[in-house]
Amino acid sequence: MVNLTIDDKQVTAPKNATIYDAAKLNGIKIPILCHDSKLKPFGACRMCLVEVEQMKGRQIPACTTPITEGMIIRTATPDIIKARKMVLELLLLNHPIDCPVCDKAGDCDLQNLTYEYEVNANRFADAKFNHVIDYNNPLIERDMNRCVLCGKCARICDEIVSFGALTFMDRGIETKIACEFEAPLNCEFCGSCVSVCPVGSLLARPFKFKARFWALTNQKTVCSYCGTGCNLTLGVKDNKVLTTVYDENQGFHKGQLCCRGRFGYQFINSERRLTTPLVRKNGTLVETTWDEAIEVIAAKMKTAGASTAALATPRITNEELILFKELMETVGSNNYDHSAGYAHAALTKGFVQSLGVAASPASILDVQKTDLLLVIKTDTYETHPVVGFEINMAVKNKEVKLNILSDKRGKLSKLPNAKTLIHVPGTEIAVINALAKVIVDEKLADGTAASVPGFAELEKALAAFTPDAVAAQCGLTAADIKQLATDYAKAEKALILFPVGLPYPGHNEDLASALANLAILTGKLGKEGCGVLCMAEKNNSQGAVDMGFYSTAGMDAGKIIDGCASGSVKTLFIAGENPVVSYPDHTKIAAALDKVDFLVVADLFMTETAAMADVVLPACSFAEKEGTFTSVDRRVQHIKPAIRKIGQCRSDFEIFGALITKLGGKPSATPAKTFEAISSSVAGYAGMSYASLGETGAYAAVSVKPSFVVPKTMSLASESGKLALVTGSALYHSGTMSQYGEGPMYVCPEGYVELSRNDASKMKIAENDLVIVTSSKGSIKLKAKISMRMPQGVLFAPYHFSETSINRICSGAPVTWVSLSK
Amino acid sequence: MSEAVAQQIEEQEPVIDLSLADKIIDKYIDLPGNLMPVLQGVQDEYGYIPRVAADLIAERLNVYPSQIYGVLTFYAQFHLKPRGRFIIRVCVGTACHVQGAPRIVETFFDKLHIGHAETTPDLRYTFEKVACLGACGMAPLAMVNDSTYGSMTVQKVDEIINDYNQRPLK
Ligand code: SF4
Ligand code: SF4
Ligand code: SF4
Ligand code: FES
Ligand code: FES
Repeated sequence: MVNLTIDDKQVTAPKNATIYDAAKLNGIKIPILCHDSKLKPFGACRMCLVEVEQMKGRQIPACTTPITEGMIIRTATPDIIKARKMVLELLLLNHPIDCPVCDKAGDCDLQNLTYEYEVNANRFADAKFNHVIDYNNPLIERDMNRCVLCGKCARICDEIVSFGALTFMDRGIETKIACEFEAPLNCEFCGSCVSVCPVGSLLARPFKFKARFWALTNQKTVCSYCGTGCNLTLGVKDNKVLTTVYDENQGFHKGQLCCRGRFGYQFINSERRLTTPLVRKNGTLVETTWDEAIEVIAAKMKTAGASTAALATPRITNEELILFKELMETVGSNNYDHSAGYAHAALTKGFVQSLGVAASPASILDVQKTDLLLVIKTDTYETHPVVGFEINMAVKNKEVKLNILSDKRGKLSKLPNAKTLIHVPGTEIAVINALAKVIVDEKLADGTAASVPGFAELEKALAAFTPDAVAAQCGLTAADIKQLATDYAKAEKALILFPVGLPYPGHNEDLASALANLAILTGKLGKEGCGVLCMAEKNNSQGAVDMGFYSTAGMDAGKIIDGCASGSVKTLFIAGENPVVSYPDHTKIAAALDKVDFLVVADLFMTETAAMADVVLPACSFAEKEGTFTSVDRRVQHIKPAIRKIGQCRSDFEIFGALITKLGGKPSATPAKTFEAISSSVAGYAGMSYASLGETGAYAAVSVKPSFVVPKTMSLASESGKLALVTGSALYHSGTMSQYGEGPMYVCPEGYVELSRNDASKMKIAENDLVIVTSSKGSIKLKAKISMRMPQGVLFAPYHFSETSINRICSGAPVTWVSLSK
Repeated sequence: MSEAVAQQIEEQEPVIDLSLADKIIDKYIDLPGNLMPVLQGVQDEYGYIPRVAADLIAERLNVYPSQIYGVLTFYAQFHLKPRGRFIIRVCVGTACHVQGAPRIVETFFDKLHIGHAETTPDLRYTFEKVACLGACGMAPLAMVNDSTYGSMTVQKVDEIINDYNQRPLK
C-alpha cells in the first residue's frame, strides 16, 4: 500500500493504482470522460486534471498517472476548475447541444459535467459539426456530431470485443470516429460501444424515443439466452421492458453483453406472446379458462399414468424443473428429458463416467487465469459470446496461448498468435485420442496418471491412434498433432473449452471423455486456470442437469418421440421446448407429435410445436418470475420478477403446482421453498439460499473422481462427391427463442448455408444466391454465404430458424452428407 | 443487375488486379511492422489504395480494415481515390499568394473543371493547392509531377495544359 494525501485527506491505495483509482477508492470523485476501468489508459480528454505538489503544481491527468509514496494531490483547486471548464467549453464548441431530443440526456457525462461545472456560456464560437448520421442499421445509431472523441467505442471494440469496427480517422480538427472507408456500421452488434459512449453519439435504436432515462426502473436479472449466465439490468416502464441498461459493475463480465443479451429482450413484451390458455375444439385452438385447461390436462395425465412423458426446455428455472419432475412422479411416470436427450450427454454421461460428476471442473473465470486455451470448435465464440470476450482479453492482455481444434476457422482464429488446426468434420475424437497417445508415448503425462482407474485400458485402446494413423484421416499432419499435444501437456496451466447443444450432436459423451482424458493424463484438473469447461447451450442447461431432469430410469427424449409415434406415450407435456424446429429429423418429429394422443405445450409463443398441441398454456418469461438459473460453470443465480405477468400468463411453477394439486398431491408453495429443498438435496448446492446468492450468485462446488474412459470415435461414412454439412449456432442467436428478439432478427433474419470461396466458384454460386441443399432426408432452400473461413468441401448452417429449419435435412448425425444445386 | 448498371459500376471502380497487391504482401508478410511498407508498396503499384486492396491487406495481415483506414487517413501521403497521371500542385504560401497565386489556381480550376484535391474523369490530372514549396524566389510557383514552373502567369497555365494534354497517359 502507498500512502498519499488527496485534498488534505491522508489515504492509502494499492501500489499500481493511478491517482484516479486511489481517489475513487477513497470516495473522492475526479471527473472523467475518456477513462474506463475496463480499458487501457488513454488520457485524451484532460477532464481528470489534478495538481500534484511534488510536480510543482503542474496539472496532470489523474487517469494515467500512477501514484507514488507521499504524493500530495489536489483535485479541485480554482485553477483546475478553470481548466476543466475550458475543456468543456471546447467540447461544446462544435457539439449540437441537442439534449432535448437526445436519448442520452440524464445519463450523459457531458451533460452532467456541463451542469456540475456550470458552463452556461461559451467564450468561443465556431460552426457546429455537420456529420451525416449513420442510420443504416436498425440497432445502433451513430451521430458523430455529439462525439467527444474519447475513443472508448473504438477501444472497447478492439480491446474486448476484438471486432475492430471503429477507428479514429483524419487528423486535427477533422478527426472523427468512423468505420473503414466511412462505410455504415456492419459488425457483430454487441452494443459494447453504445454502453461505454459517454454521450449520445452511439445509441440503441430500438430504445429511441421510448422513455427518458430517469423514467425507467432498473431491474437486475440474468440473461435468459445462453449458459454464460450474464447479469443483466432491464429498463422497465409501465410494465414493459424497454431496454437493457449498462452497469459496468455488474457480474464477472462487468456489464459486457452480446447482441442477444443487449438487443434481444423484445420477446418479453412481444405482441406475439400467448396470453390465454387455448384448447383444441373441433380441430381448432380456442380460448379457454385456466380451470378448464388444468382440469383437462390433469385428467389426461391421470389416465395416461406411466405413459405420460415430459420434455422441458432448459430455459425454465431450477425450481420449475424440480416441480415438473414432481408432477411426473405424481402420475407415476419417469419419462422426462430435455435438449433432445443428446445435447446434455457430454455432462450426464461423458463427465459422469470420466469425472464422476455431471458438471464442469472449471469456471469461466479460469479463462483469464490460464496459460493455454484449447478450444474445440471456433463456434465457442458464437455459442457463448461473452466467454468469447474473456478469451479475447486472455489472449490479448494476458498473453494466453490459444490453440483451436475446429472443422472451420472463425473469429477466434484471428486473435493474435491463435493457432487453428482444421480437421475433417467428424474426426475430432480421433484427433483428441491421438493427442492422448502422444502425451502417453512422449512421457508427458503427470506422474499420478498411471494410478487413475482405467489407465491400462486407455493405453491399450490408444494403440490405434498414432499421430500418423490419425493424420491420414483427419487432414492434420502428424507434426501438428504432436505439437498440439506437447503445447497442451507442457503448459503450466491449460484449460479446455467446448460447446454442447442441439446443433452439435457430435459433441457427445465420447468427446467429453476424450477431453477429460487429456486433463486427467496431464494433471490439469482441480487447479486454477485448469480443467475442462463444457459450455451448454441454454441459460439453465447446467441447472436442468443438476436438477436431474433427464432420463435415468424412464424414456429419454429420443424414446419419448418414438413412443409418441408407436403409441406407448399417450400424453406428452412439453414445457418450452420446440422440437419441431430444434430437434433433428423434422419429418419424424412432426409425425410423432401428430400421432400422440394428447399434447400439452406451455410456451411464450405459438411455436411450431405449440400449434400442434391439444392444449396450449401461456407461460411466463424469465422477466415475470422468480427462481434460479445455473450457468455453465455452475454459478447459481437468483432471478426476480422485473415486470408483472403479461395477460393471463402463469409461470411454469404455477402451472405444475396447479396440476399437482389437481392430481391430489401437495406441491411446494413457492420457488423459495423449492430452492430450500434443492439446497439440501442437490450435490454442490448445499447451504445455498436465495439470500446467500445475492446479486451475482454463488458457485455450486464440483468435486471430481477421475477415471479414464475409452471414447468411441465417430464412424465416418463419407460419401464421395458430397459435401460435409455441419450445423451450429449463429452469433446472434440462441436456440429458437431469439427469433422473437428483434435485435437478433434484424441482424440475422434467416437461415443460410456458408461455403468456401473455392466451392462457390466451382459451382458458380454467388453471395445470397438461393441454393438447394439436399441430403438423404430431403432438401431445403437456403441463401448462400461465401466465406474465407470454410474449408473446401465443408458447409455450415445455423439451426435456429423455423422457416428454414436445417433439421429438415439433418438426422442428428454429427456430419450430414449433402449435395448443392442452384 | 442490368448490363448498363454493371457497366456503370465498372466505370466507377476500375477492375483491380489484386495479384499485384498479393505480391507486395508476400514480400513483407513475415516482417514485423509490415503495414506501412505494404501500404506504400500498394500505393506505388496502383497510384492509390483501392478499397478492395485495403480489404485484402486487412485479411492477409490480420489487422482490422478500420485500422488500415485510420492509418490511410492519418497520413497525407496516402490516396483513397485514383489519381491523375499528372499531379499539378500550385503553391498558395504567403509569397506566392502575394504574387497572384489565387488567379493561377482559379485558372487551373476553370480550364480543368476540377477543384482542389480532385481528379479529371480521364485520370489525366489531379489538382492540389499546397503550402510553401520552399522556392519563394520563383513565386508564384506551380509543379507538375517533378517539374517546377516559376513566375506563373495565366498564359503559362494554358501552355502547361497544352503541353501535358499531348503527353501519353501511360
Ligand atoms: S456493436 Fe460491438 S462489434 Fe459493433 S462497433 Fe460496437 S463494440 Fe464493435
Ligand atoms: S462515439 Fe462516443 S465513445 Fe466513441 S469517441 Fe465519440 S464520444 Fe467517445
Ligand atoms: S446470450 Fe449468453 S453471452 Fe450473450 S448476454 Fe446472454 S448470457 Fe451473456
Ligand atoms: S479521463 Fe483522464 S484524460 Fe480523459
Ligand atoms: S510561398 Fe510559394 S514557394 Fe514559398
